[in-house]
Amino acid sequence: MAELSDVQNQTLRDEIEEYLERPEEIARFIELFARAKPALQEIAAAIVEGDDAAADRLTVAALEQGIEAIEIMDDGLIGGMGIVGIKFRENFVFVPEVLSCARAMRAGMAHIEPILSAAGVEKHGTVIMGTVKGDLHDIGKNLCIMMLRGSGFDVIDLGVDVAEDAFIDAVEQSGARVLGMSALLTTTMPNMGRTIEAFIDADLRDEVQIMVGGAPVTQEFSDDMGADGYGADALSCVAVAKELMTAVA
Amino acid sequence: MAQQQNGQAIPAMTSRERVLAALRGQPVDRTPVCCPTSVATVELMDLVDAPFPDANRQAEPMARLAATAHTILGFDSVMPVFSIIQESSALGCKMQWEGKDNWPTVRMSEPIWDSPDDIYVPNDLIEHPDTKCVLDAIKLLRQELGADVAIIGKTMGPWSLAYHCFGVEKFLLLSLDDPAATKEILAKLKKVTIDFGNAQIEAGVDALTLPDHATGDLVSGEYYQRYLRDLHIEFAERIPCPLILHICGRTVDRMGFIAETGMAAFHYDSKNKPGESMDTVAGRIALVGNINNPETLFSKGPDDVKAEVFANLDAGVQMIGPECAIPLQTSIANLRAIPEAVQEWHARH
Repeated sequence: MAELSDVQNQTLRDEIEEYLERPEEIARFIELFARAKPALQEIAAAIVEGDDAAADRLTVAALEQGIEAIEIMDDGLIGGMGIVGIKFRENFVFVPEVLSCARAMRAGMAHIEPILSAAGVEKHGTVIMGTVKGDLHDIGKNLCIMMLRGSGFDVIDLGVDVAEDAFIDAVEQSGARVLGMSALLTTTMPNMGRTIEAFIDADLRDEVQIMVGGAPVTQEFSDDMGADGYGADALSCVAVAKELMTAVA
Repeated sequence: MAQQQNGQAIPAMTSRERVLAALRGQPVDRTPVCCPTSVATVELMDLVDAPFPDANRQAEPMARLAATAHTILGFDSVMPVFSIIQESSALGCKMQWEGKDNWPTVRMSEPIWDSPDDIYVPNDLIEHPDTKCVLDAIKLLRQELGADVAIIGKTMGPWSLAYHCFGVEKFLLLSLDDPAATKEILAKLKKVTIDFGNAQIEAGVDALTLPDHATGDLVSGEYYQRYLRDLHIEFAERIPCPLILHICGRTVDRMGFIAETGMAAFHYDSKNKPGESMDTVAGRIALVGNINNPETLFSKGPDDVKAEVFANLDAGVQMIGPECAIPLQTSIANLRAIPEAVQEWHARH
């Protein structure tokens, strides 16, 4: 079993020591970064620090060294964003900091995605994502989409202010079996329930697994609305999507 | 049972007297029921023929719908500004006015400004139809309801206006990347808050809600202290009526700072426990809230609503109401349960 001292990068060691509290998460990140190449640890540290210029430069350098794109993504970009997600969940950082880290991750992903697309790497499946009708907020949804794509999902982004019919059309046209709805406002949250009702009315409810999330959304509300899954943040969105994808496999 | 103060029964108050006394930290005959944001619903729109979007853009339906908070629901205050977008429309933001069953919104993905230098606040902002209708509605409400009902207006704070005018993501990133530019934006936008607030006072409001969404769902308590506390102190000094700050989400980490602003009240969200919140503000600012919207007012029944009202009253919360603007499909029965619960609680205490 790896020890914290096995992680070469000082920034990552400090982050693990200062911000991670759950033993299984500490062990997972120590394991990840202890085996990650030093260049990828540097990328992860750049993500955690929200340094998009460094993430861009280091990703290019790693590719030039011949490191596989998927390894750079998993160990560097997603590894770093994983720490950020935990810090967000635990209120050590807030949305501005997460946006800054996401910007750094996008800078790296801009070099990785074309390579993975060209290589035809097999995906976990397709997820439809959208913010419900009447709600124009998309930060949370976009963070989820970035993490889903980074974790190997194809994502159809319907954007914001998405009516029930648009969700239904997207499911019918794409054949996707997992759908995610986001809302930031307590006034628009009921539209999640309306959308689920619309799927029932259209006789399509059994065809799709529905997950919901957003700052005011809770597990209780999700259950009341009849959703299949609830994600409190972008990290759990990925975990829920994987569960739901398994359910429809 | 009449409330006692120093062994003396407090005489019965009008709704307006009750609200104003609570905002001033004075004794009340019973806890007032307030709507610092909005209690507009589709049912109420139908009852008085004042549907959205007309009720957001025309003074007469706006006043008719606002009055229902008192005449039909039994609240002690009325609030004619149902949304948070009147000033943003007047500033030129791209709007989506929606229909009866959805809230109007600003298209924040199409921001109107890119840097502090772009900010332009017209001197005749309050003459714009979407701000003037609010002023006219306030005058109509005062004529209609007389002196017995509290009229609360609403003027948006600069942090919320910046979301609308610059886009949420861009503004939040700017707050990290360039704190000086962020402060410049806030300083320029405060004119909107002050001008619209003062115009509503002239039109006849008793108090103003000041939403400024530096919520714990987006930014830290330290952010509130760094960017907003001093501005909010300035608003309390320059806007001559009781101010009710509204911030959604978990805010207990910044309530200590909020309590230092000199504002009369803080409208708080159900993500914060009443007892913990009261302990944090320690009598330095009144609290109003915090009945949960999506899980209780919208989804459950009157008994559940009453249980949350009782929890607030037991904790000593000074004014009771929904935590934020309510879902438009909320039932009248659940909203009426709030003043009913307040009466029941006072009958027992």
